[in-house]
Amino acid sequence: MLSPQHWFEALAHSPLGHYMQTSQWAFAIVEMVHLLALASLGGSVLFLDLRLLGVTLRGESAAIISRDLGRILLVSLVVMILSGIGLLSEEAMKCFYSPAFRWKMALLATAVAFYFTLHRRAALRAGTGAASLPQRIIAVVSLLLWLGIGIAGRAIGLI
Amino acid sequence: MEQSFLQHLCQVLYDSPFGTAIRESDNAFSVIESVHVLSITLLVGTISILDLRMLGILLREIPVTRIARAVLPLTWTGFAVMLMSGFLLFWAEAAKNYLNPAFRVKIVLLLLVGLNPLIFHSTIYRRATEWEHQHRSPWHARAAACLSLLLWSGVIIAGRAIAYF
Repeated sequence: MLSPQHWFEALAHSPLGHYMQTSQWAFAIVEMVHLLALASLGGSVLFLDLRLLGVTLRGESAAIISRDLGRILLVSLVVMILSGIGLLSEEAMKCFYSPAFRWKMALLATAVAFYFTLHRRAALRAGTGAASLPQRIIAVVSLLLWLGIGIAGRAIGLI
Repeated sequence: MEQSFLQHLCQVLYDSPFGTAIRESDNAFSVIESVHVLSITLLVGTISILDLRMLGILLREIPVTRIARAVLPLTWTGFAVMLMSGFLLFWAEAAKNYLNPAFRVKIVLLLLVGLNPLIFHSTIYRRATEWEHQHRSPWHARAAACLSLLLWSGVIIAGRAIAYF
């Protein structure tokens, strides 16, 4: 298997990379799409986790909230990953060497794995009474993971 | 050169010690900017849940007023933090922002987006108990929801565009 560095170089030299590097507005527009998807992803994650914490809509079924907001989360996540690949292709090698970018990818992989395993299961099991301790811990971990991705993402442009 | 009152005010803010301190600090601007983006995420991410509920796209089984009561405190928190952090960013960049077309568009969009809930809450939402259980809200409410989604998206797009002008 080829090294990650090879993949980053291939992306930088791909037609997509060339387009993003030379177009005047492409980066800005893709970045706006990335931000719009961030807002809807952030909102759905926050609301889902507040329900798990028992802070909001405690009387309503967590399974229904998880099903509906989970859809928004997934659609936003796909848009963020696709637009993210576009942004990455513009400065692939800079990202490859950026510690912030590496942190962001590690946190993203963890957050997605966490969501599809523990988080979804907790939402399906959550009753309409007071939130259990494991359920609260899962919600807090989820919030911290997604917040961490955002902070690491912002840091790519700064360090 | 003849300056308008607003432009003069922007220049005074820009030249003030506090505005200059934010602008010239190594980290202040980017830290405030990160808080600003997070608060917009909170604001737009939560209000869009209510909008999508009224459009009948999600959480149809839950009455609109229950969603509104759960969502709006978060939205208002996001709004307050967004306004305060936004004002600090403006303080540091006021003289440049005044001339920035994206900034002007953003302010107009913010005024419009503020008008929308004002009209919504004083008209159709007053009788919400009559339609809160409907899976799809009446067309007035759906129109307000579409406007809200469009205008807030516009605010985010124009806000990001400020850096490009």
